[in-house]
Amino acid sequence: MPSWTSLKWLLWIGLYVIPVLFLPWATSRAWVDQSGNELQIGPKKLFQRGELGLISLVLVSSVIWDLLQSQFMPHTIALGSILLALAGIMAVNVWVETYCRQSSGSRWTPARAWRDSRNLALLVFSMAAVVEILLDRFAKVASR
Amino acid sequence: MSAPATALAKAQGRRIVVVRLADAAEAVAFLSLAFGLLLVFFPVSFPKMIVHGWEQGHLVPAMMLITLLLDTSIYLRVTHFHSAKPGMVGAACLGALPLMIIGGLSFLLQAAVSHTLSIDLPNLQGRIGEEILAHTYLGLVAAVFLPFMMIRLLQGFKPTNL
Repeated sequence: MPSWTSLKWLLWIGLYVIPVLFLPWATSRAWVDQSGNELQIGPKKLFQRGELGLISLVLVSSVIWDLLQSQFMPHTIALGSILLALAGIMAVNVWVETYCRQSSGSRWTPARAWRDSRNLALLVFSMAAVVEILLDRFAKVASR
Repeated sequence: MSAPATALAKAQGRRIVVVRLADAAEAVAFLSLAFGLLLVFFPVSFPKMIVHGWEQGHLVPAMMLITLLLDTSIYLRVTHFHSAKPGMVGAACLGALPLMIIGGLSFLLQAAVSHTLSIDLPNLQGRIGEEILAHTYLGLVAAVFLPFMMIRLLQGFKPTNL
């Protein structure tokens, strides 16, 4: 029997998708319509410099905060926080590396930056979702 | 030149694979999603199976086997995709690190369980079960992701791999 209450955390995490992907895309579409340009903008083009890494770090910070407030043992909290932080740092590193390459005139591939940041953002998103589900389960067990 | 000799010459001419962290991140993300979905759709039986495995002493060897297979398959997939050959450092990292990480984290789990037992808390059995579940998930993620992160960092010392 599925625990539907656990799905609320997936929805909560999913809310990040709206401001992260949909809002910038919608704003850019509005700008294109207003300015009368023929510009084709999609998420791939919009985040081609690895900007998803920045959002990943914000998401990771909020999940680490929740983990620190939980009643898990300090060992578990430390392990979870370190892993989440590492994933977040690696995600933001894609943006930093791309920015440095672009600024210094070194070789950089937009497709590679997009792919790296997308995969690392997916990792952060999935880890955040599972950690929130685990926190929800633990809170229920602790309150019994 | 004979066909095997040509193949050997081609293999010798191939460069060593450069691993991107994104390759491993994708696999860990799908592993996480699978773990999350199992928790949502089997909220009782899946955690019970993990706790039972830990009590029987099967959990740690099973995790070692799963992570070792997953790491190897990701590495070979990347190697095949880039038509490159596996490197010695990469193979050594992937052969040793998952086992060391899972082994080390099993001691951490023992410490967490002992700490839980030493405190007078309600619903001890349930709390220990959740601790085991969390450590299992975090151990799987660590043992797949960290070896690739180590390989990526070691590759950074070679300017041609940046």
